[in-house]
Amino acid sequence: MTNKVIENLYYTKSDEWLKVEDNIGIIGITDYAQDQLGDIVYLEKVKIDKKLKQGENLTTIESVKAVSDVNAPVAGEIIEVNEKLLDDASIINKDPYGEGWIAKIKIENKDELKNLMSAQEYSEYRKE
Amino acid sequence: MRYIPNTEEQKKEMLKEIGVSSFEELIKIIPQSLRLKERLNIPEAISESELEDKIHHIAQKNSNFFLMKPLVGAGAYRHYIPEAEKFLLQREEFWTCYTPYQPELSQGTLQSIFEYQSYISRLTKMEVIIPSIYDAASATAEAALMSLRLTHKNKIIVSNLLHPHYRETLKTYLAPHEPEIIELPYNNGLVDIKKLKTLIEEDVAAVIIQSPNFFGGIENVTKISEIVHSKSALLINVITESMSLGILKTPGEMGADIVAGNAQSFGMDLNYGGPYNAYLATKKEYIRQLPGRIVGETVDVDGKRVFVMTMRAREQDIRREKATSNICTNHNLNVIAANIYLSLMGTEGIYQLSLLNTKLAHYLEKLLLKSGKFEKVFNYPFYNEFLLKSKEDMSTLNKKLLENNFIPPLKICEFYQADNLKNVLLFAVTETLSRDDLNKAAKILSE
Amino acid sequence: MKLIFEKSIKGRDGYSLPRDLFEDVKTEECLPEYAIGKDKKLLSEISEVDVVRHFTKLSKLNYGLDDGFYPLGSCTMKYNPKINEKLASLSNFVYAHPLAPEETVQGCLEIVYNLNKLLCEVTGMDEYTMAPAAGAHGELTGNLIIRKYFVDRGDIRHKMLIPDSAHGTNPASAAMAGFQVVEVKSNEKGTVDLKKLAELMDEDTVGLMLTNPNTVGLYDEGIEEIEKIVHGKGGLLYYDGANLNASLGIIRPGDAGFDVVHLNLHKTFSTPHGGGGPGAGVIGVKKDLIPYLPTPNVAFDSERKKYYLLDAGEKSIGMVRAFWSNFSVLLKTYAWILSMGPDGLYNTSEMSIINANYLLAKLKKYYAPAYDRYCGHECTVTGREYKKYGVKTLDIAKRLMDYGMHPPTIYFPHFEPYAEETIMVEPTESESKEMLDKFVDIMIKISDEARTNPELLTTAPHITPIRRTNDALAVKRAILTYDDELKLKDELNYQEKDINF
Repeated sequence: MTNKVIENLYYTKSDEWLKVEDNIGIIGITDYAQDQLGDIVYLEKVKIDKKLKQGENLTTIESVKAVSDVNAPVAGEIIEVNEKLLDDASIINKDPYGEGWIAKIKIENKDELKNLMSAQEYSEYRKE
Repeated sequence: MRYIPNTEEQKKEMLKEIGVSSFEELIKIIPQSLRLKERLNIPEAISESELEDKIHHIAQKNSNFFLMKPLVGAGAYRHYIPEAEKFLLQREEFWTCYTPYQPELSQGTLQSIFEYQSYISRLTKMEVIIPSIYDAASATAEAALMSLRLTHKNKIIVSNLLHPHYRETLKTYLAPHEPEIIELPYNNGLVDIKKLKTLIEEDVAAVIIQSPNFFGGIENVTKISEIVHSKSALLINVITESMSLGILKTPGEMGADIVAGNAQSFGMDLNYGGPYNAYLATKKEYIRQLPGRIVGETVDVDGKRVFVMTMRAREQDIRREKATSNICTNHNLNVIAANIYLSLMGTEGIYQLSLLNTKLAHYLEKLLLKSGKFEKVFNYPFYNEFLLKSKEDMSTLNKKLLENNFIPPLKICEFYQADNLKNVLLFAVTETLSRDDLNKAAKILSE
Repeated sequence: MKLIFEKSIKGRDGYSLPRDLFEDVKTEECLPEYAIGKDKKLLSEISEVDVVRHFTKLSKLNYGLDDGFYPLGSCTMKYNPKINEKLASLSNFVYAHPLAPEETVQGCLEIVYNLNKLLCEVTGMDEYTMAPAAGAHGELTGNLIIRKYFVDRGDIRHKMLIPDSAHGTNPASAAMAGFQVVEVKSNEKGTVDLKKLAELMDEDTVGLMLTNPNTVGLYDEGIEEIEKIVHGKGGLLYYDGANLNASLGIIRPGDAGFDVVHLNLHKTFSTPHGGGGPGAGVIGVKKDLIPYLPTPNVAFDSERKKYYLLDAGEKSIGMVRAFWSNFSVLLKTYAWILSMGPDGLYNTSEMSIINANYLLAKLKKYYAPAYDRYCGHECTVTGREYKKYGVKTLDIAKRLMDYGMHPPTIYFPHFEPYAEETIMVEPTESESKEMLDKFVDIMIKISDEARTNPELLTTAPHITPIRRTNDALAVKRAILTYDDELKLKDELNYQEKDINF
């Protein structure tokens, strides 16, 4: 089981990470999550302009043996989607924190970041 | 003990190994108040020969159906099943095995399913095939539910010439979801195209038609699909007599979006109504909304071409309440049966047989009309089933037919209450009837 | 192995058509222009002998129940009696058209009617419908019956309670019936947490779906309390009968307070599995729910001494399939019950339970049980111990195939706190002590191999006709028909050895 974390990212209990750049957030799933899923084969299309609340379902990731919901770490509007994943969802397995980013969200309320975990906290949370 | 190998001696050994002195200790967790205090009140066990005797006696209370030629279809068609199919099907490796979750031990099942998917794909000219839903009624219902999911709309138009049992099943499955179900009436034995044009709206998820329809009529599916698509609804084409696919234009070419087909004619016996099997056929873009198991091709670690159950993330064991359907065990053995049947019949066989069936039906219709004792109710092109109104009372004719080893045609008023359908019969003909049989039947019916 | 299409040669045929092809009837006079297909659909052209060899060879790539032990959990892979197959193939049944007049099918109707009575007695219910074609189909039917019952009373409820240990078909069926699925957690002992159940059961809940023994094979000792909690709030109890093989002649769901029961005839009642059906998932109900059963029922007119199909009435949920039932499956079930009798049924469950506990006792030194207590007819152990050698439960299962055994059920069920990396084994009463000993010996050998030679397991199986499959690639490529394969021919670049084996 792997559980690599990157510093300076925010983490959720449902295994998403959030990188904040000004008021844009980049969303992906953690190394732990991709490992749990196994070979990822498909990502449900994310709608641009979709408005979400914190914790609301953003998309679904499908592996050979499992399905996992991806939820919005903070409330906001989806402004960009990683098109590369539609052709090859396994990028998420190979590079979950880099090329495997899923969507970019315009953060509605930066106060909500308080509800998320730090890299250290998440690492503890997912320690086997 | 019957079918139970372990002896009393071995039972004792095993209890000892487990570390208990009696069986009761193993089940003492079950509350005494709920335990059966007496033996089950069912008949005492009988021997194998007694069983054979008993069931044979019960079978005698049925007519000698092998010798009886059916003049009825209505969703169940007697076709000749080559003996090679029955022989192969009974191999224990097909008959007794489990669901092919372990592909290393199930390539026989998995490859057969893949071959069948390929056959149905070519027969329907659709891209993706779900090989097994229990029957075409439940498959129609699943297709309807699928169309609601795909379009996010809540209205379905249903042809009144969809098989009555299928319409009932559709209503039952749709009840919890409460979509609006609009009846599409028929006109002159086919879907009322004019009415369809007025009923079709942007809020319609799907239009469900059957072709050949319950009266045997061949719908103009191309025309219907144009109308349906003009308002971005989906066309669901139901087929009860898949033998028709041999000669008719494919649903794919005619614009169907989802096909729900009864595969019974491909190698399954009548068996008093089941088990049969149904396929769902659709476009690749809808695949993730399809219910049921599907087999795909891949390789193993040695690079061999192999077959596996795939796209499993749609199914109930992974998605649970979010699955596309609850279906788990389906009618797999009948998929193998159909695969073997289609392999034996092949390109020529299916084409010739399909053509023969419609010719036989038209031959009988002509004979009956010629007799003067029957008249047409509607004027529509039909495949192997047709409606005729009898000028005589049917009960006496039915009796004569039965005495002469014919299963009588269906009284359509059992399903349709219109005045002009009184004393109207739905005839079906398949290749199990010879020219002599048809001449004989016509003679009996015109006396 | 080569596909049937790859064996096709133009001009070959494997069929026999009637000699009279009605050349005197013209095609154009039969079919309208708009509907005639332009070309023949290309299937295959193979001689009968080649078809027979193809499927004979294919069958040998399968492992069947007559080959050996199928230690799968909750599947009840018991012996399929051959006499029942012969009886189901009697021509008076096989050629019976479902719409033949009732007086011609009195034999069929008698069997269905009598089976109804037998199943009621065996399970303590009041009436059965034979319509559902599989367990999940029965679950849907049962859920729809429950739904209609409440709608009819003007008591609209939205939720269905389902244990976290339940088979996936339970929540899927409840969702199809329009219910919101509420999960009830299991307790430390692996059974339903009664406290949580009492908290969740309210007047917006239609009831609870329960498998007993549950999916790890444990009888729920709280069954009486469960009944009180659910009925106490006006709910109904649904019994998933997949595990009935542990209860025949011992306890009946009807007596335990269940209102709706489904049975898997292809499990408990010995009908063959067919690689995934057909079976049947008949539904039994208590008196109050009889009006809601699907239509039609089989009734008996005692005056005229005739069986007939009776419309179920306006409260019926309608139909869940065309025609009446999977008749041949019902016939085999009827034959099996007659062959077993009351003692045979009791012995079936007794032996299943002893067999399962025997396996548990012998395996638990090597594979920690999920829950260390006596089990019902199936036991659940885990492969957790071997993770530290880099061996997953999957690898253990794959290695079993090298010893000529079909793997047990793995990774199901999966619920807290202890049901993970599960290996679930249901021996059934059909297996002998020697077979069980053999299975245990092999499992012990594999546990040694896990410690000393884990790579042997992680690359298993080695001697099966094909080896581990690339399932991710199957999803990615989505080759679902031969035409899909032809489109990718160049990319796939199969060698002769890849196809011809």
